[in-house]
Amino acid sequence: MIKWRPLNACVAMLLVTLAAGCSSPASREAMVPSGGAISKHFQSSVRVQTGGGSETGALDSSNISDADFKLAIEDAIVQSRLFKTVVQGADGDYELSVRITSLTKPVFGATFTVDLETAWSLTRSTDRSAVMRKSVKSTGTATMGEALVAVVRLRLAVEKAARENIGQGLQAIAELNL
Amino acid sequence: MHRFLQTIAILAVTAVVLSGCAVNRATGNVDPSVDLPALKTMYVRRIPADDGTHVLIANKLRTKGVVVSTGVEPPPDNVDAVITYIDKWFWDITMYMLELTIVIRDPKTDFPLATGNSYHTSLTRLSPQEMVNEVIDNIYKAGKK
Repeated sequence: MIKWRPLNACVAMLLVTLAAGCSSPASREAMVPSGGAISKHFQSSVRVQTGGGSETGALDSSNISDADFKLAIEDAIVQSRLFKTVVQGADGDYELSVRITSLTKPVFGATFTVDLETAWSLTRSTDRSAVMRKSVKSTGTATMGEALVAVVRLRLAVEKAARENIGQGLQAIAELNL
Repeated sequence: MHRFLQTIAILAVTAVVLSGCAVNRATGNVDPSVDLPALKTMYVRRIPADDGTHVLIANKLRTKGVVVSTGVEPPPDNVDAVITYIDKWFWDITMYMLELTIVIRDPKTDFPLATGNSYHTSLTRLSPQEMVNEVIDNIYKAGKK
């Protein structure tokens, strides 16, 4: 039987705080939507740029880094075959810029709901004309049934919001006539 | 020995709990196609429950040479941009602004032209005025690049 003397209580609190306090960033793989919903395939190339994201500190809550978001969008484009190729540098037929405008996360709760807004703009490289400019809003929810530890639950909610957001953004591009 | 362990444990818990209160983040970014100084008239869309942040944002924008109006109604037709914001407050001894996100939008399409965000937890908390100043200054700084 454990006697809850101050020492025991403090050690227990420390262990709980440490176990619960290690945040991890949204994972690139988990942000990639399934590519099945997109039926259009453009015969052109695209370059992807991202901005507005932030790194996840050890004592912070889960964030989306620009690098991981870029890779997730590129993976989604490749998997859906929305564009023929994804290029790096300045050689693409189109430039896709996706900026994270707001990522609203809860601080407490059993079910975590995260709201994400991004600004998607697609520019034709030859004449720098804007083909699409769109605000994409998405929501991700994670319950205690999915993860008991709060920081994991929050990461899952962030990843769901990002996955939904990328899916909506690519769907909007698929509706264009390029 | 027991007293020593107890002291160490209390200090460790205190350190872990308090160090969680020192997260700082301040970002600003602008769409490459946007010329921020060209946006001369803006409308701050006030959150109905907000009683002060919209005033701080409007006053700070005025120092940038922008003509600013505020309100909860849809924006008038003649503005160059609409400002929306999300202010998140938290309690630690007193209430403080934990996070502020300000978005400058195209009035016709709602497209986010520029965004700034500041996040400061309790130990490094800033006043609402300082939060607003930091976010707007970071947006304009990003617009110069």
